Amino acid sequence: MPKCTIDGRQIEVAPGTTVLQAALDHGIHIQHFCWHPDLPVDGNCRTCMIEVEKMPKLQIACNTVIAEGMVVQTKSPKATEAQRTALEFLLVNHPIDCPVCDQAGECYLQDNYMRYGLYDSKIELEEKVHKRKVVDLGPIMLDAERCVLCSRCLRFEDVVTGTNSLQFVNRGDHTQIATFDGGKIEHDYAGNLADVCPVGALLSKDFRFKMRVWFLKQHESVCPGCSTGCNVFVDERDGEVQRLRPRRNAEVNKSWLCDPGRALYKQIGVTERVSGARVRGAGGWEGVSVAAALDRVAAALKDAGAASAFVATPQATNEDVFAFKALAETVGGKLDFRVGDPQLKLTQRIDEVLQRADRNPNTQGCLDQGIGKDGVDAIVSACRAGSLRALVLQGPELLRIPELVDAIAKVPFVAVMATHEGPELDRATVVLPAAMWAEVAGTFTNYQRRVQRLSAAVPPPGDAQPRLELAAGLLSRLGKPLATATARDVFALLAKATPGYAGLDYRAISGLGAALAPAGGADSMASGEARA
Amino acid sequence: MAVNVVTVDRNQKAGVVPILKGHWVTLQNFWRSLFLRQASTIQYPEQKRPVSSRYRGIHVLTEREDGTPKCVACYMCATVCPAECIYIESGERPEKAIEKYPTRFEIDLLRCVYCGFCVDACPEEAIIMSRENDLVGTTRAELVIDRDRLMARGKLVEHGAGYRPVDHDVRRPVRLKALERLKSEHGIVPGMPAAKTPRA
Repeated sequence: MPKCTIDGRQIEVAPGTTVLQAALDHGIHIQHFCWHPDLPVDGNCRTCMIEVEKMPKLQIACNTVIAEGMVVQTKSPKATEAQRTALEFLLVNHPIDCPVCDQAGECYLQDNYMRYGLYDSKIELEEKVHKRKVVDLGPIMLDAERCVLCSRCLRFEDVVTGTNSLQFVNRGDHTQIATFDGGKIEHDYAGNLADVCPVGALLSKDFRFKMRVWFLKQHESVCPGCSTGCNVFVDERDGEVQRLRPRRNAEVNKSWLCDPGRALYKQIGVTERVSGARVRGAGGWEGVSVAAALDRVAAALKDAGAASAFVATPQATNEDVFAFKALAETVGGKLDFRVGDPQLKLTQRIDEVLQRADRNPNTQGCLDQGIGKDGVDAIVSACRAGSLRALVLQGPELLRIPELVDAIAKVPFVAVMATHEGPELDRATVVLPAAMWAEVAGTFTNYQRRVQRLSAAVPPPGDAQPRLELAAGLLSRLGKPLATATARDVFALLAKATPGYAGLDYRAISGLGAALAPAGGADSMASGEARA
Repeated sequence: MAVNVVTVDRNQKAGVVPILKGHWVTLQNFWRSLFLRQASTIQYPEQKRPVSSRYRGIHVLTEREDGTPKCVACYMCATVCPAECIYIESGERPEKAIEKYPTRFEIDLLRCVYCGFCVDACPEEAIIMSRENDLVGTTRAELVIDRDRLMARGKLVEHGAGYRPVDHDVRRPVRLKALERLKSEHGIVPGMPAAKTPRA
């Protein structure tokens, strides 16, 4: 383990660590643009200049590997002067239009300009080289004037997606990035281009002019789009989710997030949400309070007893599923969660980067808790045979399958916990309003058996409640209340009851989550990580 | 230890002389306003008191020559506003030179504390204040004024411009402070020559 001194601090690092990485890990800031933790080192921006003892010339911190006994100065006059000069070059043709630039507030150029900058530009605005502005690249808007030519986007397209749609064109002062013949960016990872861009040259069209970033409050969460379980930030203002951003987790998604995942926030604040409970009466739907609806469901379950069935959903958190399972066991009905056979698709990739075929975030969690015990087929054939008197669904998936409509119609009482309105809800007897993933605290277990936490970022609409609380409400009406109803404490109960989860608690899995031993041996872990 | 203690005789009878003195003052004012027309009151609202040219009255959004708002919807005013009374929604303009403009711009005048920070923060001189100060409405909603009412120039012509960057260049002190900080914290003195020579 080489030891070095950076700015007078003794630092011990792993062999092969660069000065920039070591400095950032130890809270020493060195300005940088082209360096990105998940992209190959390029060293083209020359802004991370540092002074290394016994080296005659200044070195770039991002590509200088620490050797034993190295003494580095990042803030010596010589280094500072070089950093400022490099920054000045980046700003030569920059329009400094921060007031209308969406990157303002999370812009490397803005931050470093305030830190090291020459506040008076030596170039008059009229003398700057003007480049293309407001270029529509599909999901991304390009403003070539703001670009600092760091090539992060080029390297991302080269190494991560392999699409290579962006390139540098022209020479010298007039260099800019462009797509061939102005073509659009067509892969599923375009949003990452806006994220890797350290300045406002590549910006998300979806987020364009929507909100200044300093108004946003970020909440750590997990993307519910597929079984990969990418770590995200939910950015919200006043209870309204404005965007999803990838949260770096080297073991799961690195710094990336797919575009379908990014778009999932749009399902949260829509008007089609189920915001109140309703019960089918003589004259059609009747809106009732959640408590009254739960009373009705509890009465039906008491009446049905073992002639009932419960279908959990892999869209729900581990805590929701735990409470649902407790409910099924209390009543004594059949229990499963599979619709089709998602666990076969659990680790199957649909592209080379992140996305997996199982579009549910918590299939592994359901499997770990032993939810898949009776089989949906058995439940459906019991429906067909007319031997079921009550069916409780944690999600509306089963109601959406056209082949099962006649089978479900034979069950006299169907209760469903739903987040969104849809024609399928008309097949139920009671609709309970459920909160979505961004509105609940809980955990998902991804395809690697990594347990990851989500936090409640925004309040649920209307009367909607976490599925955990709906199940807990039913349990207390059936005379077997859960010992606790907060997600944190339910997780503690779950960790005790579930094999492999022992010893876990919310503190242990905060941040990057906790990896469990793979369930099905080495093959279920195959090719886990994103490329690059 | 008591200093300069005045003992007041509470049983003292009110004299006739002070009452007459008071009446004399009133009478003088009465005569002055009756014969000399030197009243200290004014005929509001027909007549208004003059206010300072830097008076911080109701806001005005300025416009470009083509009648579009100068505002680029940068949200600086909404960010700095201590009363959080400014609500902006931004949209995209077809011209590429000025990409952004406010599709909604509302100020809740009942929340506003008329501090003028929005004027200070604006990089475009798009929001200034007028000298208008009589805020009257029959409902609360009426006093949340929208972009088009903020842009109505009539008020500015009628009441005169109030607080605006022209007579109070706010950027200079802020900038000097930033430069001072740069020097003290980072030891950096920006390397521009003191006097700018225009280039050929």
